[in-house]
Formats: sequence, C-alpha cells, structure tokens
Amino acid sequence: MPDPAVLSVGQYLELVNDRLREAAAFEFSIEGEVSDFRVAQGKWVSFDLKDELAQAVLKCFMTAWQLPHKVEDGMRVRVTGAPKVYERFGTLKLNVQSLELVGEGALRRAYEALKKKLVDEGLFDPSRKRQLPRFPERIGLITSRDAAAYGDFLRIVNNRWGGAEVMHVSVHVQGKEAVHEIIEAFQYFNALAPEDRPDALVLIRGGGGLEDLHAFNDEAVARAVYGSAVPVVCGVGHERDESLCDFVADVRASTPSNAAERVVPSREDVGYEIAMTERLFEDRMREMIDRMRRPIERLSASAELLVQGKALRFSQVTGSFEASFSRFLPRVSERLLASERVLRSVSPERVLERGYAIVRSGKGIVRDTGALDIGSDISVQLAEGSFEAEVQRVEGKGKTKLF
Amino acid sequence: MAKKPLHFAKAFEELEAITEWFERGDADLEEGLKKFERGLELASACREKLTEVETKVKEIRLKYTVTPA
Repeated sequence: MPDPAVLSVGQYLELVNDRLREAAAFEFSIEGEVSDFRVAQGKWVSFDLKDELAQAVLKCFMTAWQLPHKVEDGMRVRVTGAPKVYERFGTLKLNVQSLELVGEGALRRAYEALKKKLVDEGLFDPSRKRQLPRFPERIGLITSRDAAAYGDFLRIVNNRWGGAEVMHVSVHVQGKEAVHEIIEAFQYFNALAPEDRPDALVLIRGGGGLEDLHAFNDEAVARAVYGSAVPVVCGVGHERDESLCDFVADVRASTPSNAAERVVPSREDVGYEIAMTERLFEDRMREMIDRMRRPIERLSASAELLVQGKALRFSQVTGSFEASFSRFLPRVSERLLASERVLRSVSPERVLERGYAIVRSGKGIVRDTGALDIGSDISVQLAEGSFEAEVQRVEGKGKTKLF
Repeated sequence: MAKKPLHFAKAFEELEAITEWFERGDADLEEGLKKFERGLELASACREKLTEVETKVKEIRLKYTVTPA
C-alpha cells in the first residue's frame, strides 16, 4: 500500500470543495428554521438553518438581493445552494441560491415585516395619493388576459363609460415571471412620452392566499407602483384580500370590478350632471332676461295704459256717432219719400191723365189764345198719344163755327 | 396617437367653467347669451359622446427579458 499523497490544508479543502460541488449542487432543497439572521453592510446575509429534531445546524450565506422576502429569525424556509468549506474558518457554509418561505405563518410574518418597513419609509403616506382624472381617455391595464378579473374589468368599464382606450399588458399575476413582468409593464407605461401615457394605470388580479399574492406583496413591485408617474389603481381579489400594492397605490380598489368603477365615471351620472347643467344655464339665462325685462315691462305697461285711454275715448266718440247716424238716416229717407210724392203729383203726365192736354204751336206751349193765328197748325198732346189740328176760330172770330 | 374630435374632459371642463360664470351672477346679457349658446352646444356634444362609443382594447406585447432567478 503506497503512502497516501500529502496535501496542504488549502489543497485538501479545494479538493473537498470540488467534490461537494459535484455531489450536492442544486439537487436538494433543505428545509429548516432560520436563526441568527444578520445582514452586513446591507449586502451580505448570513444565518443559521436549524433542524429542531436532529439538533443540526447549517451555516448559510447569500446576498441581500437574492432575498425574495423579508426574513426573520424563527421562520421556516426552504433553501437550495452549493455547500462550501471556507478555508479561513474551516467551516462549512451553504451558498444559498434560492430561498422560499414555508407555511402561511412564515409568509404572514414576512409580509407584516415588509409592510412595516414600507410604512416607516412613507410609501403608504396618504398625502402622496394622487387623484385620478375624472374622465380618463386612456387606461393602462396590467393583468393576466386569462384572469376573470380581466373580463370583469373590461365589462364594467364598458357598461359605465365609453370611448376610453384600454392599453392592456398581459402579465402573469403569480408564479416566477409575475414580479419582473409586472415591473416591466410599469416601466413600459412610464417610459412612454407624456402625451401617449395612459391617464391611469390599473393593476388587478383575482383573490388568493398570501402565496398567490406574492407578486403583489413583492417589495420591488410595491416600489414600482410607488415610483409610477401615472396614478395607479390597485384591485386584488375579494374585499377581504389586501396586498402591499393596495396600500402603495393611489387608489385602493376592493376588487377588480371596483377598480373599474373607480377609474371611469358612470354614463348615467355624467348624463344627469349634464342635464342639470343645461337646466341651470336655462334658469340663469331666464333670470338674466327677466332682470332686463322688468324695466321694459314697466315702460310698456304705462305706454299701454296711455293707449288704452285713447282707445276708449275713440270708441266713445265713434259709438255716439253711429248712434246719431242711425237716428239720422230714417229721417232723411222719410223726407226723401215725401219730396218724391210731391214731385210725382206735379208731373205733367199725372195732369194729362186727368184729361188735360198740352197745346204747342210753332212758338212753343200755348198758354194764351192771343198767341194763336187762325189757320195755323197746332199739336195737341194727350195722356196717351198726340194729334195735329188747325186753328179755325179764336175767341169767336174766324171761320164758321162747326158745332 | 390621434386626438379625438371631441376631447370629453376638456369639453366638460369648459362646461363647468361656464356654470361657474353663470353662478357668479354678475352677468351681462350679451355675454350671457353667447355662453348660454356655447354651454348648450357643449352639453349636447358631451351627451352625444356618452352614448356614442365603446371602449377599445389595445393589446401591448412586451418582450419580457427573463431575469436570472
């Protein structure tokens, strides 16, 4: 049997580490309870992972940015990583690659611890909450296309309001990709030119346990919400669910449907408001016109009174005129008839009818026998017809009397 | 992105401004008539807009850069 090879301590540990890497890397998750958790210089994290039953201790090392949650002593965690013997201290340590919390209790505590940290930093400060525009033209929607929340949101937005443009970025809302996809969606919207940016961002998902909500409780996501230049509405699951994003958001909606109600007004409400506004305009206009009209009305009223007075007197005068005229008219006609009677009685025809005759000579109507020459012709007109005759005797002189 | 013919938010803002003008009450009739006419015009345009349109959805696809776990 040959003498074993002689190695320095350093060489030996190097060999051991080589073997450890081959044997143990990434093949197991190790579960235990955290104790003696420390962060050095804000970067280097070290803790002991303990096993209560076997009284075993595994020293762990990782960087702060690998920590997905706030970790505290007493939490149960599951880690993966590469074991290594550190030459200087001769101790075995696990270089942790991933760490996840185990059990609702641990997640709850991590959540509460992170919440407290963000509260202390002022991320939830009510004074920094921004108001949403009343009539958003463009809405940035960050959620999964497959989630019920997506359909609920769009349906309610459409029922309440019209004409808005919904810019939808589909992201995973849980699972490994969720955190960085949500953060990138925020980055996308905030990187748009101000005139192309949505008026509000809406981050929604259905309800779930703390584990499902991990992306909405992620510190980096919360900070993305906090840092958004566009106001954010956050709505998670059911009323009882809460997430850190809810507290950071400018508007915390109780559910995805409620997020839709918060982000757009209802047509009916706005329509009613417009109708009221119109009525107000009309009222004010009428008041204004009335104010102007009052002096004019007073003026025209007095003018009218004047006119009425004149009109009355005019009608009085014409009335009495008509009355007197109506009395006057029969009197005139009576006199007319009387004159007619007189005239008719003196007419020559009436005289002739009584048996008189008119005698005409060449010198006209004969009124005096002196105007008659014996032997001259005369014409005699009777009531009916006339005849010619010769004058034979005048006052007993002339030709022999015939009869 | 193309602007819509009627910017609802702006129209509504103007409507509110006219309301405020009327509420101040120090009005002259000439100006009032003009505002009145403009107000009714805006109101009917807004009302029309309310009933006219559907919300549009525009999908935005981001190429997610997968960050190392």
